[in-house]
Amino acid sequence: MLKIKNLKADIENKSILNNFNLEIKPGEVHAIMGPNGSGKSTLSNILSGKKGYDVSGEILFENKNLFELETEERAHKGIFLAFQYPLEIPGVNTNIFLKTSLNAIRKARGEKQLDAIEFLKLVKLKAKDLKFDEEKLNRQLNVGFSGGEKKKNEILQMSILNPKLSILDETDSGLDIDALKIVADGVNSLRKKDNSFLIITHYQRLLDYIKPDYVHVLMNGKIIKSGGPELALELENKGYENFN
Amino acid sequence: MEEQLKIDFEKLLENSNFSKKNVELKRKNFDNFIKKGFPNRREENWKFSDLNQIISKNIKNLSFYNDLSKPNKIDQSIFIDGLEHNKLVFVNGKIEKIEFDYEEKNKIEILDDLVLEKFNDVNNSLLFLNNAFVSNYFKLTVKKNYALQKPLIIYNITNKDLVSKNVNLKVDIMLEENSSLKLIEFSNDKSTTNFININYNFDLQKNSILKNYKIDNNSNSNIKYYFNNISQDTNSVSEIFLLSSGSEFIKNEINCNLNGIYASAFVNGVFMLNETKHHEIKTNINHLVENTKSYQLIKSVLDDTSKAVYQGKIFVDSKAQKTDGYQLSKAILLNDNTEFNAKPELEIYADDVKCSHGSSSGSLNEESIFYLMSRGLNYKEAKKLLINGFLLDVVEKITDSEIKNLIKNIMSLKQ
Repeated sequence: MLKIKNLKADIENKSILNNFNLEIKPGEVHAIMGPNGSGKSTLSNILSGKKGYDVSGEILFENKNLFELETEERAHKGIFLAFQYPLEIPGVNTNIFLKTSLNAIRKARGEKQLDAIEFLKLVKLKAKDLKFDEEKLNRQLNVGFSGGEKKKNEILQMSILNPKLSILDETDSGLDIDALKIVADGVNSLRKKDNSFLIITHYQRLLDYIKPDYVHVLMNGKIIKSGGPELALELENKGYENFN
Repeated sequence: MEEQLKIDFEKLLENSNFSKKNVELKRKNFDNFIKKGFPNRREENWKFSDLNQIISKNIKNLSFYNDLSKPNKIDQSIFIDGLEHNKLVFVNGKIEKIEFDYEEKNKIEILDDLVLEKFNDVNNSLLFLNNAFVSNYFKLTVKKNYALQKPLIIYNITNKDLVSKNVNLKVDIMLEENSSLKLIEFSNDKSTTNFININYNFDLQKNSILKNYKIDNNSNSNIKYYFNNISQDTNSVSEIFLLSSGSEFIKNEINCNLNGIYASAFVNGVFMLNETKHHEIKTNINHLVENTKSYQLIKSVLDDTSKAVYQGKIFVDSKAQKTDGYQLSKAILLNDNTEFNAKPELEIYADDVKCSHGSSSGSLNEESIFYLMSRGLNYKEAKKLLINGFLLDVVEKITDSEIKNLIKNIMSLKQ
């Protein structure tokens, strides 16, 4: 599904990612762990098409060169990024935003757009699964939401848009245990044989709830070690500094 | 230009049958205008919008006499649909229709042929110009305890026949005790390069409510000046909303005197400008007695080489304790060549008051655009959603829901 070969990314002549390689197959859950400044967020930004990086190498998503696609085209193809810091968008109603987003993606895929009633039915169901306060959906997008609510809102968007590849950028940071469980349940319920996940995190904690197939350790812009879930535990015990 | 002014003024006197007293008054106003001329940037009030220059740059051979003897056709297609309303229609400065079908006739008084009664020595040359050249003016009185059943829409229409003219209009509105009026002023211009000079005087008596919505939305090359003078007695409320967008130049000046306790004034405005448009809102909110309140919120979205100016002044008299005054302006500059000027002014002589002001401007947040694009919206859609969200909170301040919806439609803000 996703093949990253020799990815190199610089920002203002500073090297962030270098010789980065990763392959994710349909249905797999990969976790990338690394210390601050190792390039985790850069990776998720580049996969979503954020501007401002000098990139080389190759990223193929379902055999399509991602560098040729704009951010919204990547979303249409099924890439979703759950933001580390979801933005507050004043004046934009959450429900209306969700509907606009879903219908933009459905339209690009040549699917029928949902009318207001169909949409509300869907969003109600998904919000209930995530124990997301429905009343919040009538508020301005993320405005006045707590950190946990913002993260839940990301997972709600993910479950409504039903992407093929979901990238979770430190979704666990700032969540209490209860919220963490709800978020993890949300992710687990989306795990299907065709849906893949890339989970970016500092801590092993989230991986207690979302069992990854592979764990990769990212340091100084490249993967220095890959393994199974046990690698996360090893990392947790040793710390990043003593890991090499 | 002085030559033209003199010729046109004599022409006006010749073709009208003003009383001797009236001619004298007009001449006095005329002389005052000749002495002062069009305002320019040397005057503090006009430092961001040099009207003298703007007129000479945009209007060739401006003339001041309008023959109002022939009737004009009204283009009915511009009437607002889906909202029952009373109508007052001006075409090229001439009253062409007065229709108050929804109202009890003894509860309102309409006069459409008023002439100047006294000389008003205000320090405003454009009011002198207006008083000199306006032929008849219009006055609506809403009687005690009466609330108009339906909104009144004043259509200010100009058509193709009007070119390089100065048009002067004067409208007085009197709201007697406990009365209320919803007034929409809707401009529609198909004319080119005119200078339109409009003077509104609102007299709000005890407990009366004025809701005034001014909509200038269709693109045109006219230069406009509005002087809105509002006088408010005890417990009266004025709510003003400005959609300032269509004309090449507009300066909307609002002078509001809060003369009675518990009087409150709300001024909310939106500038949506592109190309070379240059618009200004200038307010003077005068808190003259205790326990009065004012609130101002102005938002701008500027594109191309457009320019917006907001000069908001709150004056608090030494008697006006417990004043609550607030003003805020925010601008989004879509382009490096746009300009937003804000000059907040607080002049406070009382010690127990609550007054605040703020102003900010900046470009659209690229992070927010990236966020929306990552959810499948293209750049244009993301930008539009952010801009609409930015403007929406001003429109949400409109307290009449029917008119709020109308304005949302006009601004394409419907979600």
